[in-house]
Amino acid sequence: MLRFLTVRLLRAALTVAMVVTFAFVVLRMSGDPAQIIMGADAPPEAVEAFRAAWGLDRPLWVQYFNYFGAILSGDLGRSMRDGRDAIQLVAERIPATLALTLPALLMKVALGIPAGIYAALHRNSWVDRLVMIVAVAGFTVPSFVLGLLLVLVFAVQLGWLPSGGQESWRHAILPVVTLGLGGAAVLARFTRSAMLEVLGQPYIRTASAKGVPWHAVVTNHALPNAAIPTVTIIGFMMGSLIAGAVVVESVFSWPGVGRLLVVAVANRDLAVVQCILLLVAATMVFANLVVDLLYGLLDPRLRNAPKRAVA
Amino acid sequence: MQCLTRRHALLAAAAATLPRPSRAQADQRPVLTIAVQKISNSNAFEPPREQSNVGFRLHGLYAEQLIGTDWLSNAELVPGLATAWRRPDAATLEFTLRDGVRFHDGREMTAEDVAFSFAERLFGTQGASGAGQTTLLAGSAGKEPPAEVIAVSRRTYPGLERVEAVDRRTVRFVNRTPDVTLEGRVAQSIGAILSREAFARAESWLAWGRAPVGTGPYRIAEFRPDTQLVLEAHDGYWGGRPPARTLRFVEVPEVSGRVNGLFSGEFDFACDIPPDQIAVVERNPRFEVLGSPINNIRMLSFDKTNPVLADTRIRRAMTHAIDRQVLVDTLWAGRTLIPRGMQLESYGQMYLPDWENPRFDPAEARRLLREANYRGQPITYRLLNNYYANQVASAQIAVEMWRAVGLNVQIEMKENLSQVTARTPGRGVRDWSTTSIFGDPVAGILRNLGPRTDAERNGEWINEEFNRTAAALEAETDMARRRGLFRRMLEIAEREDPCYVILHQAAAFTAKRRDIAWRAAKGWAMDFGPNNLRVSA
Repeated sequence: MLRFLTVRLLRAALTVAMVVTFAFVVLRMSGDPAQIIMGADAPPEAVEAFRAAWGLDRPLWVQYFNYFGAILSGDLGRSMRDGRDAIQLVAERIPATLALTLPALLMKVALGIPAGIYAALHRNSWVDRLVMIVAVAGFTVPSFVLGLLLVLVFAVQLGWLPSGGQESWRHAILPVVTLGLGGAAVLARFTRSAMLEVLGQPYIRTASAKGVPWHAVVTNHALPNAAIPTVTIIGFMMGSLIAGAVVVESVFSWPGVGRLLVVAVANRDLAVVQCILLLVAATMVFANLVVDLLYGLLDPRLRNAPKRAVA
Repeated sequence: MQCLTRRHALLAAAAATLPRPSRAQADQRPVLTIAVQKISNSNAFEPPREQSNVGFRLHGLYAEQLIGTDWLSNAELVPGLATAWRRPDAATLEFTLRDGVRFHDGREMTAEDVAFSFAERLFGTQGASGAGQTTLLAGSAGKEPPAEVIAVSRRTYPGLERVEAVDRRTVRFVNRTPDVTLEGRVAQSIGAILSREAFARAESWLAWGRAPVGTGPYRIAEFRPDTQLVLEAHDGYWGGRPPARTLRFVEVPEVSGRVNGLFSGEFDFACDIPPDQIAVVERNPRFEVLGSPINNIRMLSFDKTNPVLADTRIRRAMTHAIDRQVLVDTLWAGRTLIPRGMQLESYGQMYLPDWENPRFDPAEARRLLREANYRGQPITYRLLNNYYANQVASAQIAVEMWRAVGLNVQIEMKENLSQVTARTPGRGVRDWSTTSIFGDPVAGILRNLGPRTDAERNGEWINEEFNRTAAALEAETDMARRRGLFRRMLEIAEREDPCYVILHQAAAFTAKRRDIAWRAAKGWAMDFGPNNLRVSA
């Protein structure tokens, strides 16, 4: 187990280092933070002074090694935009983002999995077709279109909910629904496919032939076996908890990590972008670890596979 | 000691049921919510740190200058925190300060605050002259302004030697050289008068920069970056009681979000409305869109180091191929103006009313191209995705107008300004604008062209005669000679060796509830002061 975790963490560290390097090079080669942050109206002297103050006038490789060295010593840098620590800026935004993405994740699971199971168990019925139509629509409609549609109906026409902002729990409803519906559609499709595949397996027929009640066949045999692909998808969704709401946060003016990322990339505020990337990478790695551990719990064959291999 | 009796208790209970002049009941002024695309680029409100459109919108609400600018009329200079000013000589300006002006922290403004505002606040320990400060305000140690702030300050006040507090109500500005534009420079937002004691109390320059303490009708109460800025009424305001209790600026990046929020009643104002949304908003009888041309001129600029554009005749042909009125009518619904060259009427004595843009004349454009033996060599137009309103549509129309006379201009989309101005092969045409921050060519054309400007630094356009003329204009004090020098500069930059072609004045549009009486300014500034806001009960 320790070796497994060590290898995983080393791989993750390498991935993060590559992401950080790639982002540094791309961001720095594609725009001058001084000019972007100071704006088009800033006098050249001010832009030059800004460059010198932040070391942007040094060779790129010097900037890179300085930056990477600072990261290794735990210093994620300061925002060039407002002078504060990047980690502080990002940390301030995480609760707002989680206030959307966690309820949305619950909604995806609560709607998507039962809908997928029900559709699979009633294959080719009108319910199955309805679930799939809704799922395909939810899957294909971009979140910004769905968000605007919900705003038009529930904020502008009916006046029931606010159109954006973050002042109360009511402000979170439309963005959570926008995020949740799309994800629920994805989960419903995957769950249905997984269930259909499992329901066609010989051991399901055997269990039925032995007289096991159908609900017990589904609960004890079909669901655990169909859970593996579903858990994989949920793992991906957990990985996007931090930065998975970029578009929705922009549409609903929600001041989370996604909005911060958009602004930071536009301003080439390197420290903030890198800090968010590190956080996203760490979340992904953690989510993947959890998923790997869950595989073992759900499927004894996977749990015992390493032992057998060693034997 | 008086004992509490049953009678006292009953009286107290009865009193509790009577109407009380609570703060909420006494203050019936509205809380207004204003949706904007961006609150602040730098997350700071100190004017020198936020010299941008979004900064100019807010500065006047919380900070004021000795000389004000009447943005509701023609950007005339009017008394501000000074009631009068005089010129003892061409290099000196003396102000009489207004009585009874109080900062948001309750202190009365004095000449010391003015001196501070033009010393350590802008220039740090270097002082205005760069020779160092002899005395520094106690508590300001370690509060050196960021380098870019000092650079902006030096650029704005290049000749300023010192600011003296003559007495409690008199301040003297001493310049190293004569400068007829000193009044205009003092009137800029960077010249705000801020509380020196509040500066001394601040933890750092940046902390101070997030909530500077000024004298404006509203004070900064809360700022959440990229989310909202809350301004509360400053009831000690010298100009009268502010008509709104609270102004809440909320950041809504999407146009649709701002318009939807207005329709749903969440916002009272929605700013940064593109022209194509005006009809959408005004279809609803409860709302209207206000706005007009502002003190910003949009243009297309040329890189004369481009191998094709090095020939003056080709640039001249490009200036004759643009039909500005078509752009104004189709993209701006006729709601903006075409300025007479790089100047505005607010230039006053310096305005040249007889100056004409190169006329729209396709035949002349074709003739110039034939003369230059132009054979369709491509000219690159580096374009941003609507950094300016209508930028992409405007570019596409311009390219077609150029194509109609035989020019082969090709659009190349870029993501940011530094990609547009990068000194790499292919740089040819780009969009540009100039905000005249006060009424003089020094604050307009000379911010973009001439010595120490981006055009010179980037190598896009350098003209020795223009530079000499610009230097002479800056030093000249005789108005007639200044006008002559300005005319010559326009001749060079717009006709003989074209650097740009004027498109139109920029315009800013704000959607609002019809029942709110409010006028839009002829600049980026939004005025919610006592004379420009009334909300129906």
